[in-house]
Amino acid sequence: MTKSKRAMEHQRYVFLAAVSPLAILGVWILAVGQGWVKGTILPSPAVVVNSLVDMFENGYAGVSIFTHIGYSMMRVLTAYVIGSALGIIVGMLRGRIAWIDAIFLVPGEILRPIPPLGMIPLFILWFGVGELSKIILIFVCVFLIMMVNAHAGALACPPDSIRAAQTLGANRRQIFLYVIFPSALPQIMTGLRIAMGSALSVLVASELLGGDRGLGFLVLDASNFFRTSYVFSGIIIIGFIGLVSERGLAWISRRVVHWQGSR
Amino acid sequence: MARDLLNPILQTERPKSQTPILKFEDVGFAYDGRDILKDVSFSVRRGELIALLGPSGCGKTTILNVVAGFINASHGCAFIDGKLIDRPGPDRGVVFQSYALFDWMTVRDNITFSLRCAGKSRKERREVAERMTNLVGLGGFEDRYPYQLSGGMRQRCGLARVLAANPKVMLMDEPFAAVDVQTRETLQEEILNVKEKMGSTILFVTHSIDEAVFLADRIFVITNLAQGQYLDIPVNLPSPRSSPSNRLHPDFLALREDIYLRMRTDKPAVTAVSNEGAAK
Repeated sequence: MTKSKRAMEHQRYVFLAAVSPLAILGVWILAVGQGWVKGTILPSPAVVVNSLVDMFENGYAGVSIFTHIGYSMMRVLTAYVIGSALGIIVGMLRGRIAWIDAIFLVPGEILRPIPPLGMIPLFILWFGVGELSKIILIFVCVFLIMMVNAHAGALACPPDSIRAAQTLGANRRQIFLYVIFPSALPQIMTGLRIAMGSALSVLVASELLGGDRGLGFLVLDASNFFRTSYVFSGIIIIGFIGLVSERGLAWISRRVVHWQGSR
Repeated sequence: MARDLLNPILQTERPKSQTPILKFEDVGFAYDGRDILKDVSFSVRRGELIALLGPSGCGKTTILNVVAGFINASHGCAFIDGKLIDRPGPDRGVVFQSYALFDWMTVRDNITFSLRCAGKSRKERREVAERMTNLVGLGGFEDRYPYQLSGGMRQRCGLARVLAANPKVMLMDEPFAAVDVQTRETLQEEILNVKEKMGSTILFVTHSIDEAVFLADRIFVITNLAQGQYLDIPVNLPSPRSSPSNRLHPDFLALREDIYLRMRTDKPAVTAVSNEGAAK
């Protein structure tokens, strides 16, 4: 009884999740088909698909689309891996050690509200227009998100868990490794999902910093030449990468923090 | 004293030393300038189960926290086996009301956490886990996670985790407050079985008169700890203590009524009434 009800609710969930993008597509087709908007402002889905196919067949700006994707992914993943590793370490330490928290408090909070676009001129001055400044821009964004999440996770550890570990003979290192870190994992996994989304959105900004490779470059370049359908194609590729990575991280998260939500 | 961690079950005979395993000497604890404990003194012998009985906020948990080393006495001294208590340690195990199990670890890993911290081998941990789960009635559940267990089973796991560390004193802070009445009675009987087998010394905080009378060798009825006042009442019920029929024994009922009346009267309490059962 309850099982079939739950199955029905799940079916409805899947149905709505599939219908909502199709509905958007429908409105899109309708709006262009009825001539409500101009093709240069909003190209029809068919034109966008043509551009996508063209990009996959012939590349963009003389370079294979997979090269563009590869460059962007390399930048995002490098920044993401280093940024989250350092962010998690610093955030966890901030949660447990007061003097480390004190050191990062003001610089962290001053940096956090600054939009990545605002840092671009400085980064060009400091790190040039090469790979380094692009990666650092994404890195800063990922690092700050992960630091805040890991910090909150470390603070969320129930005091009784720490006390239990102490009375079972755990030393400070063991408490940190076996108790505080795992109990912060739910927040860390949430942070990893948020940071992946932000990293992809900062990617476009980072590729404003010159260069002729990458999905962000592709979108900006197409936009400069009013090739709106190519702008859309680039956006769709970025969005698709975002969707796949977010669903993948959600899947990993459910397995890593299996105890979450079932207590 | 060589404590054989490998064979805690065989350890039915412990040295019946005359020195108390746990001793409070004029312990005081103040919080925010207000005395919670003042001049609290008592001693506990090996193998005794002491129930700390009193209403919420009377300071009974504070006593437990001092013994555990979670807080330090602001006056006086607390000793475990003659050693001054100044921090938590594996010689004092705690069974928490909130279970405080590690959700990310299996029942086996929870139970053998102390052995892992002490660097014991996997093989040894498996053996201890198996023995402990059988002892507390969790056999076959070693690979489950705490969230897959009922409240009563979680607390069995909490108990086994403490037993595996083989502490000198076990501290229990209303451990069965969150389980249903039937489960609670079963668990009370099993605590007594375990105590019998292992010769454990237990400090048990509760606000239930029934629970205190059924479990304890002595009950400290907490009246006013801010002035160091409590009643020390010995319990004499037929062996085996774990027998459910004790719950209907005339002595059980009489003592329950006696304590009930003492707790309800507004008469000023006597400081540490010493009965024949009390050790000094």
